[in-house]
Amino acid sequence: MDEDKKSSRPGVIETEITMGPVHSAAIEPYRVRLFVEDEIVKDAEITVGVNHRGIERIMEGLPVEKANSLTEKICGICSNSHIWNSVLVAEKGLGIEVPERAAYIRVIMEELERLHSHLLYLAHGNEVLGHETFAMRLFYIRETVMELLRMIGGNRVQYGVSIIGGVRPRCELDEMRIQKIIQGMDYLEEKIADFADRFVSDPMVISRITGTCPIPKKEALRLAVSGPTLRATGVELDLRRDMKEYDPFEFDVITQEGGDVKANLLMRVLESFESIKIIRQAIKDLPKGPITDRSWEMQDTDVIKSYIEVPRGRLYHSYRLEDGRVRGSIVRTPSMTNIGAMQYACIGHHITDAQLGIVQCDPCFTCTDRAIQIIKL
Amino acid sequence: MSLKSYSRARAVHVMLVYTGGCNGCDIEIVNSIFSPKYDAEQYKIFLTWNPREADVLVVTGPVTKHNEKPLKAIYDAIPEPKAVIAAGACALMGGVYKNIHGDIPSEEIAGPVDKIIPVAAKVPGCAVRPEDVLAGAVAALPLLLEAK
Ligand code: SF4
Repeated sequence: MDEDKKSSRPGVIETEITMGPVHSAAIEPYRVRLFVEDEIVKDAEITVGVNHRGIERIMEGLPVEKANSLTEKICGICSNSHIWNSVLVAEKGLGIEVPERAAYIRVIMEELERLHSHLLYLAHGNEVLGHETFAMRLFYIRETVMELLRMIGGNRVQYGVSIIGGVRPRCELDEMRIQKIIQGMDYLEEKIADFADRFVSDPMVISRITGTCPIPKKEALRLAVSGPTLRATGVELDLRRDMKEYDPFEFDVITQEGGDVKANLLMRVLESFESIKIIRQAIKDLPKGPITDRSWEMQDTDVIKSYIEVPRGRLYHSYRLEDGRVRGSIVRTPSMTNIGAMQYACIGHHITDAQLGIVQCDPCFTCTDRAIQIIKL
Repeated sequence: MSLKSYSRARAVHVMLVYTGGCNGCDIEIVNSIFSPKYDAEQYKIFLTWNPREADVLVVTGPVTKHNEKPLKAIYDAIPEPKAVIAAGACALMGGVYKNIHGDIPSEEIAGPVDKIIPVAAKVPGCAVRPEDVLAGAVAALPLLLEAK
């Protein structure tokens, strides 16, 4: 606690509680200031910036292949989304048509990543809730996804599947891999369903999370929240519906009502089933053919923009190409806008709920730490 | 054997500090200690977030300029004897963030870790594999146990 301040109302003491940059409740370094009155959070402020590595500046002038693999290092949770979107930018600019099989493999990887991100979210959420048994259980389930990712990409975290024109030859799905994925999906479906059953039938957990830190729909739209956090407030908005890569697949856009911790946690559970559904369809209809198209030529392009839906929301990449080098790269990650929701979720609630309110919006400050200033227009 | 080293031999507390990498290494380390598959807790390695309780400091990330001071402060707060494990390519040599632009000095990165605090064990990988993290933690143990 930094200092005690006398507020205008007698008898009420306003306290500022600061956490961070390194703090036990959060793995990632960020700073939260909570202004507390009578144990109720009156205002919250989240600051990032300790992590600033200047990825966009490092990308400036790098050959585009190198820059693409660098984008992967923006975030260790959704590394595939970054490299995928960055490659999409180049492909859009150069007019490359990706072979169908490669597009399917990319979708499979993205959905596997969504599974791993959602399971990590659930585990982290349960840890913050104080339910370590659930958290460990989820880490165990998640291990299956990690093994599949390692099998396809060769690494557990940075798998680097997409390259310009397709996917890396190493990531070809042969019979053995396909079988493993099918088995993995059966296992995951069963285990996640088991977990969900236990989770919703635990009265302690449910009473703790119902109605905690809600974000109303209107507020979520005003703060431009994206991804599952937005859908948990009841807005049916999923960029996957508009992406041509997802056209062949049948899936539902899950929404929940209320935007509280319960809606957010259930949101991730239900979305995991949709991801399993997509992976199953992709495996079933996996087209034959090459996985890389190398018949493209480098040329200069204008600024190209690309939005995709990633596990945590909406991801934006843009750059232009000049002599095969990247110029003026801009990346915007979903947590950037979701920070507003995190602050909002804390306000007006008990101080013990604050951490839950932050965690329910699926924070990832590592990837967000590139912005310099948020300007309100 | 003093009481301290006696109790140390029974429980090693690991503190994880994250200094600006990509999150990949951190999750793998938490995974290796927490997840039932690797489960370092069965070897009596526990995760703590309090430097005064910690014996081993695991550092990931290339140490950004902003993180240099907090890292030093955390290192100083850990009681002797202590060991530092640098985990991941970032912590070992600055990773892509420091090296991808060749010899041009980086404006953001102050690391690698051994430039700032003494490192006892180095775990390579991008991201580190949980098995390697366990091996690294085990390699650092003699430093703690043999110290008086
Ligand atoms: S070593 Fe690799 S995985 Fe680990 S923090 Fe650095 S970039 Fe991320």
